[in-house]
Amino acid sequence: MAKPPYIPPADHGFISTDPELAAVDASVRWPVLVCFLSAVHWMVVGTFLLVYASSLTHPQDTFPIIGLLVKLSACCSFFTYGHIWPAAVDALVYGWASTAGLGLAIWLLTRMGRTPARAPAALMTGVVFWNLGIATGLTGIFLGDSNGVELLEFPAYASWILWVAYALFALWAIATYLGRKPGQNHIAQSWILVALFAFPWLYATGSTLLSTDLHPLSPDLRHTSDQSAWAFPLPGSGVMQALLSAWYVHGLFVLWLAPIGLALLYYLIPKMSGLDLQWGSRAQLGFWSWIIIAPWTAVHDLVGGPFPADTVTVGLVLSGLIFLPVAVIGMNLVGTSLRGEAQQGHHGGIVFPFLVLSAFFFVIAGASEQLLSVRAANEVLRFTMFRECNMFLWVYGFFSFMVFGSMYYIVPRLLDFGWRSAFLIRAHYYASLYGILLFLALVGGGGIVQGLILETTNPLVTIVNVNQVSIGFYIASTMCIALVSIGNGIFALHLGWMVLDWLRQQVRRSRLASEILMEPYQPAAPVKATSVEVSA
Amino acid sequence: MNPPFRPFFFLVLATFMFTWFALIVLPWINLGHLAPIKEEGTPGITPWDSSGSAHQGEKVYASNGCAYCHTQQVRPASSGADIIRGWGTATDDGDPKKEVTRRTYPRDYIWQHQVFLGTSRAGADLTNVAHRFPTAAGLYRYLYDPYVLNGHSSMPAYRFLFTMQKVRGLPSDDALVLVPADMPPAGWEIVPTAEAKSLVAYLLSLNKGYHLPDENGPVPRPSKS
Repeated sequence: MAKPPYIPPADHGFISTDPELAAVDASVRWPVLVCFLSAVHWMVVGTFLLVYASSLTHPQDTFPIIGLLVKLSACCSFFTYGHIWPAAVDALVYGWASTAGLGLAIWLLTRMGRTPARAPAALMTGVVFWNLGIATGLTGIFLGDSNGVELLEFPAYASWILWVAYALFALWAIATYLGRKPGQNHIAQSWILVALFAFPWLYATGSTLLSTDLHPLSPDLRHTSDQSAWAFPLPGSGVMQALLSAWYVHGLFVLWLAPIGLALLYYLIPKMSGLDLQWGSRAQLGFWSWIIIAPWTAVHDLVGGPFPADTVTVGLVLSGLIFLPVAVIGMNLVGTSLRGEAQQGHHGGIVFPFLVLSAFFFVIAGASEQLLSVRAANEVLRFTMFRECNMFLWVYGFFSFMVFGSMYYIVPRLLDFGWRSAFLIRAHYYASLYGILLFLALVGGGGIVQGLILETTNPLVTIVNVNQVSIGFYIASTMCIALVSIGNGIFALHLGWMVLDWLRQQVRRSRLASEILMEPYQPAAPVKATSVEVSA
Repeated sequence: MNPPFRPFFFLVLATFMFTWFALIVLPWINLGHLAPIKEEGTPGITPWDSSGSAHQGEKVYASNGCAYCHTQQVRPASSGADIIRGWGTATDDGDPKKEVTRRTYPRDYIWQHQVFLGTSRAGADLTNVAHRFPTAAGLYRYLYDPYVLNGHSSMPAYRFLFTMQKVRGLPSDDALVLVPADMPPAGWEIVPTAEAKSLVAYLLSLNKGYHLPDENGPVPRPSKS
């Protein structure tokens, strides 16, 4: 039986047929590619640390090999949960999501401005400093310099590096936006600009006001019983720290990651499906209502705490309106993608399924924020693993699926080179999908169970009883994260394989070119040609 | 589709300022100036600062990430079951036989350099941990091996906060009294390091065994004189 002829995957023909767009994509090839590769590198690091951190939450019931690492954590401060967990979360939020987000923002801004990027060297410097900052910050956490403030654990010496890097990015982005071709406006640009504007605000406030080196008053002054010494403390004192921290954590999700993700979805979903945005005229409404209402989700971490009751009540009312932007954005994105899927057939293509899931997870994340804005539900769920589940939903369910889809779309266009294997993409898709669905079911459900026991009115119930029940959900969560990490690993290997193949092809091409150039001993050829001409 | 850049920028700035003002600035006006309250007829003030060793312990608490699983806030009885769980019950500062049961107020936290209200209760609330573990020895034992008291605990063992040393003469005062499985070889003892001592001093200093006026009413401001 004759074998079917081997058809190699197409290795050219990915570049946009519009020469203008092709030039734009080529101008940002290296900065975006380096962003993506370093982001995927941090994703691998962060996912591994996340599996490790998660298996430390059930130290008495560990899994085979990783159990050795758990034993190690008791004896060595380097490997304790309080170092591994923040390192994992920071590697995923800053290293993976934010770096990928920066790459996507660069790509989208230049592409929508239809002007080739200027000063790619500034961008590359920014990428290098950004990665340096993250590496320094993670090292600081492991060495015990962590601030212990959620998502701001990076010690001050790492924050400054991140700052310099981000300033380079932001200046470049504003210059690019202002230098765009006239008439190039799209809702996606608004989302990107809001994200680029929100991050420095959030990070500057958070990292300066919550830094441990900044004390509200000098102790000598405070120990006088003279009460006027207390009249003008700096903002980051007392419970204000908790307010700032809540504002920062939620702001990072809803004003930094969410806008970048939504920008890409608003751009790619209509593009991939070839359809107009459903309810497109309401996209502006979704945008403005989101940036007004979404930051109020910060009060979900404050209910019942030592804060002014009126702030919390007003905040709950406002964050309870989050269904409005979520519904509008959901109508736009999910509506368009469902119509697109109906036309193209289910799960067509490799990019679209990831984007559709991302849009769905955005709506689910919005629904979970809506749930937390109900006071009675919040009281039960506030201190449970439901909050972890909510965070995972933003960073992994919504944002990472968007990044995966976008990378599957963008990288071939940058390199003019195809993905290597449809099977690997399918494996990545299903491992991630089932990983995240199981995580939502088990950890979200576990949070509800844990909350109901924590908040029961039976005075005999103690934390020991709560632990007896929640330990099972912690073990389940480790298994789900392991499944997700398999998907992530497949993606990282596939991307690495593709880039290596591409590099090999580039080297081969250039060798071919150099071989042609290094053949000077052909003096006969031109002579022959002239002689032919003469004879003719 | 978009407004031009400058109006767009100012609109975004205005929306950000709105949440910033309401979530951060307004509470700061209310809470940023909280001072201790003068006690009637005595030179004392409530609450009083904790020891320097306890402030050192804050840093150990921060860098070992205790705040990821432990809260330090007691919600009022109207919001959640914190009081029922017993997390609001403290040993009275004046009389160790008495108890004080109450929620926590913003004024309770004014002396702390870093405030760890916490977002997760994978572990117990630590506000009044001194009521449940009245002595440092008990907390040392728990940090060394949490699974003796709570077999399903998610807490890591913090053995790196302790050192094993040879007994010279009489055993040390703070040598740990451990269950047989954890006991060091004969002639050796396990003692807390300086880090463990400051951490435990910090945990014990969190006790809220005093009363504050009900702060749901108007917040007292520092006197101008």
